Formats: sequence, structure tokens, C-alpha cells
Amino acid sequence: MMTVRIQIIIAVAVIIFIICLATLARKKSLDLKYILAWLLVALGVLVLDLIPGFMPWLSDVLGVFSPVNMVFFVGFIYLGIVVFALSVAISRQSVRMKKMIQEIALLRRELDESKQNKTH
Amino acid sequence: MKKIVIIPAYNESECILNTVEDIRNNAADFDFVVINDQSSDDTGEICRENNIPVINLPINLGIGGAVQTGYLYAFRNGYDVAVQFDGDGQHPASYLNSMYDALIENKADIVVGSRFIDSKGFQSTALRRFGIRYFTLLIKMITGKTVLDPTSGFRMVNRDTMKTFAYDYPRDFPEPETAVTVLKMGKRLIEMPVEMRVRQAGKSSIHLFKSVYYMIKVSLAIILEGSRRYDDR
Repeated sequence: MMTVRIQIIIAVAVIIFIICLATLARKKSLDLKYILAWLLVALGVLVLDLIPGFMPWLSDVLGVFSPVNMVFFVGFIYLGIVVFALSVAISRQSVRMKKMIQEIALLRRELDESKQNKTH
Repeated sequence: MKKIVIIPAYNESECILNTVEDIRNNAADFDFVVINDQSSDDTGEICRENNIPVINLPINLGIGGAVQTGYLYAFRNGYDVAVQFDGDGQHPASYLNSMYDALIENKADIVVGSRFIDSKGFQSTALRRFGIRYFTLLIKMITGKTVLDPTSGFRMVNRDTMKTFAYDYPRDFPEPETAVTVLKMGKRLIEMPVEMRVRQAGKSSIHLFKSVYYMIKVSLAIILEGSRRYDDR
């Protein structure tokens, strides 16, 4: 069971995190789709924090022995999904980057060639 | 017919001039271009000083990305034939003309210079040969065709295959995988006996501790490539 003190600490931490998210979103240094994913986490933690009876109820319904295990399990699954999505995103980026590097190299070659043709 | 030699080079300052000289002397009607894959030595400067056409990649792409840049260049500049040629002196330019004849006479889409038809010249180590035989077997199982030297980087292609490679080429360990690609597409692949030399300088891009990773990754790539569909192109 949680004490009121830890409940307040968690709530404050989550609110600071949400403020960070908002700042990053305004500066456009974090994509909106990732903001949504992390906002979901923050709100989830906040709900669990403010309604301490929710996790015991959910673990009981799903047949999980202890609410703490339930928290770890859900957290693990969620992080797994996030990391997997990032691998997909990185693969796509690397293909795009390769294309871009090749185009830049070919453009520089064209530039060299046209310079050479001028001097001749 | 416009023909071009693509020379991927990573830190080949010691032998790039010899390679180019070899092409000038033995295959004079081939154009050539060096793809400098962000070498940390002065490969790029040497090319510029000696008026060797060079494409300098701004970021290291690895052998596949470098070679693909060459195919893209060849395709956009209207070449009919392109040949991939190592910058480290392994491949003798004296074969280029007979390779070209083989491509035309057999109406082939790709000609692979193979070390293992006549088993002459540098044959690589026993372990590598074993690995290569395994790939030959795997490719045979998947495509039904025999490629004796699927890891050979000495390959000549016509414009059709050039286009395929220009748009899609694996980033690392490309040779066995693309052999499967062209066979799956129903293209005509032929092999020609070639005597390769021991590399003059530079190292093979495959180190010993990487070889297990290499075998697994290339096997997976071959199997995946085998499962792709290319609709009668």
C-alpha cells in the first residue's frame, strides 16, 4: 500500500514530466506522435497513483498474483512495444539517409564535371 | 555501347593508381569511376590529383551503399554496361573485354567472374571456400540455379540489371543476396572463369570474428530474398 507522501511525490514527478513534454512539443524537438506515447504513460501512472485501488482490482480480475507484478508486466510490455517501434523507425531512417548521402555525392560529382567542362 | 567500371574504394591509396592503370592499359574503352567511401587516408586526394573521376561519399556507407552509388551514377549517365571492380588489385582488368563479350554473346543480364570454375589464381582460405560452397548450395536450393562463386565482387551487368541495383541494393554483404535477386527475377546469370590475385593491400571487409554473424545474416538474406515475389519482370 502507498503512503500519502509517496503518492504526492509521484504525482509531482509526473506533472513535471508532463510540463517537460509540453515544452519539448512547443519547441518541436520531439515529434507529436512520440509525445502522445509518453503522455499516455504519464497519464497512466497518474491514474494508478491517484486511484491506488485500481491495480489490485485489475490484477485480481486478470488473475495476477500480486499487483506489483502486474505493474512490472505492463511496464515491460509497453517498453517493449516502444523499443520495437523505434527499431522500425531507425531502419526507415537509415534507408532514407543512404539515399540522401548518395544523392549528395552524385550532385557533387555533377558539379565537379560541369566545372571541368567550363575550364576546358 | 557505353561501358563503365565502378571501383568502390575504402582506404585504397596504395593501390588505387595501379588499379586505374590496369584498366587504362587493358580495357581502354571502359570509362571508370572511383567511389570513395569516406576513406580516412588520401584516396580522394590521389584521385583528384591524377584526374581520376571520383565520387566522394560524404558519410561512410559500406561496400553495398558505395557500389549502389556507382550503379546509380552509371544508370543516370546512360551507360549500357557497368562492372563492379575492387580497388585493391584483386581483379585483373585484362578480363573486362572477355567479360563484356560473354555478356553480349550469351545475352546475359549479369556475368560473374568466378574463381572456382578453373580453380586458378587466389582461391581464398579453406574455411572461406567452405562457406562459399555452403552459399552455393543454399542458393541452389532456393533458386534451382548453381552459382559457383556467389561472393565474387567482380560482376558485370547490363542496363536492365543496373537499374534494378540502382534502386535496390543491400547495404552490407550484398553479393550472394543480389545473386538470388536476379535469379528470382528470371534474369540470366552466367559465370566466367577468372583468376583473381591476392589483394595487394587493404583487408577483406570480412574479419574472422565477424564471420559467424556474416554467415547467419547472409543466409537469412538469401532465404528472405527467396521468399519475395518478382512478378515476371
